[in-house]
Amino acid sequence: MARRKPDDKSNVADKASEIAKNIWLAGVGAYGKAVDDAQTRFEKAGVEPPKLFKDLVKAGAALEEEARSSMEDIKTASSSVEERINRVRENFSLSRYARGSDLVALHQKVDKLSRQLAQLNNALKAAGVLTTAAKTKRKTPAKKATTSSKKKATPRKAPATRKSAAKSKVKTRAKAARKTS
Amino acid sequence: MKTRDRILVTSLQLFNEEGEANITTLDIANAMDISPGNLYYHFKGKDEIIAELFHQFELALGHTLKAPIEKPLGSETGHVEDNWFYLYVLMEEMYHYRFLYQSLDDILQRYSLLQRRFNRLLQLKRLALATICDTLIAQSVMRPKTKQAEGLVNNLVENLAQTLTFWFSWSHLSYGSRPPQVVIHQGVLQLMSLIAPYLGDGQLDFYHQCQSMYQSMLESTA
Repeated sequence: MARRKPDDKSNVADKASEIAKNIWLAGVGAYGKAVDDAQTRFEKAGVEPPKLFKDLVKAGAALEEEARSSMEDIKTASSSVEERINRVRENFSLSRYARGSDLVALHQKVDKLSRQLAQLNNALKAAGVLTTAAKTKRKTPAKKATTSSKKKATPRKAPATRKSAAKSKVKTRAKAARKTS
Repeated sequence: MKTRDRILVTSLQLFNEEGEANITTLDIANAMDISPGNLYYHFKGKDEIIAELFHQFELALGHTLKAPIEKPLGSETGHVEDNWFYLYVLMEEMYHYRFLYQSLDDILQRYSLLQRRFNRLLQLKRLALATICDTLIAQSVMRPKTKQAEGLVNNLVENLAQTLTFWFSWSHLSYGSRPPQVVIHQGVLQLMSLIAPYLGDGQLDFYHQCQSMYQSMLESTA
């Protein structure tokens, strides 16, 4: 019993595939029939079918042409003269900023700077030996100077507080003097 | 792209680069790597290709030339400069179909059907330029000093139209092949120098900018 069921199923599957096959064959047949029909009609009518076909192609081509020209219209309309003018304006302002009087001004600035740099260089060269000699010597004193300044900074605070203390002392003295007078 | 459109694009490019007279349909087919028969299927000869290209040119330039006649340029944005930028648009369009202008007489003689249509475009060109001048005078951007402004405008328009029509062959004759932006800019500068004597200081700025741009263009391309 348990064996039959799969058999039944396979039978059903076979049937299904057979039906499908038949449908497919029927399809082929119909296709073949259509081809035959067309051929016989072709033979019967002689020149007529190609004429019809040509008409269809012509109509299609005309439609295509129409669609193409309307597309072109849309294209030209979308990039209107105003839009193109705007594009030119943008390009113009861009190239103006890069190339116009602004650039001349920049050139002048660069020229001025390079002249100043040349002057500085000359001055340095005139003092060439001194500066190169001083460079090596300076390194250590400079460090010392910073450290010494730090050292100086801390003791400075004490006198400052002392001073303020002295000031307050003066103030209190003055107050006392006023009180007495 | 459709073969038909590709033929047109390739033809335009070859005509512009080599000159229309030097290009045959065989050259076009070879450049596209299609058989001459295939090209013949779409166009029965160079005449048909040129007729189609001229039709495109007519549509595009006509559309551009009508813009200032229908509505003053810059009336919405309030920029008077739009009139000057318009010259760039116009010249870019003409530059796109420069093979026509490169040997104008020759082409119009050989394709006599185009003559009347080209004349119509010339007429439209004059009208567009006259409208621009009239509007600018009405806005007192342009201030002709003589009282016979009308006669002056007519002559000015004649000069402008002449420059606009022959500027490309002039540039080609005098300077040979130059980068497109230089050719176009030089054309605009030439037109502007015709208008400049009638401009107030504010708009003269644009003229000076044009000049300095041209100088720097020449320097950068040299």
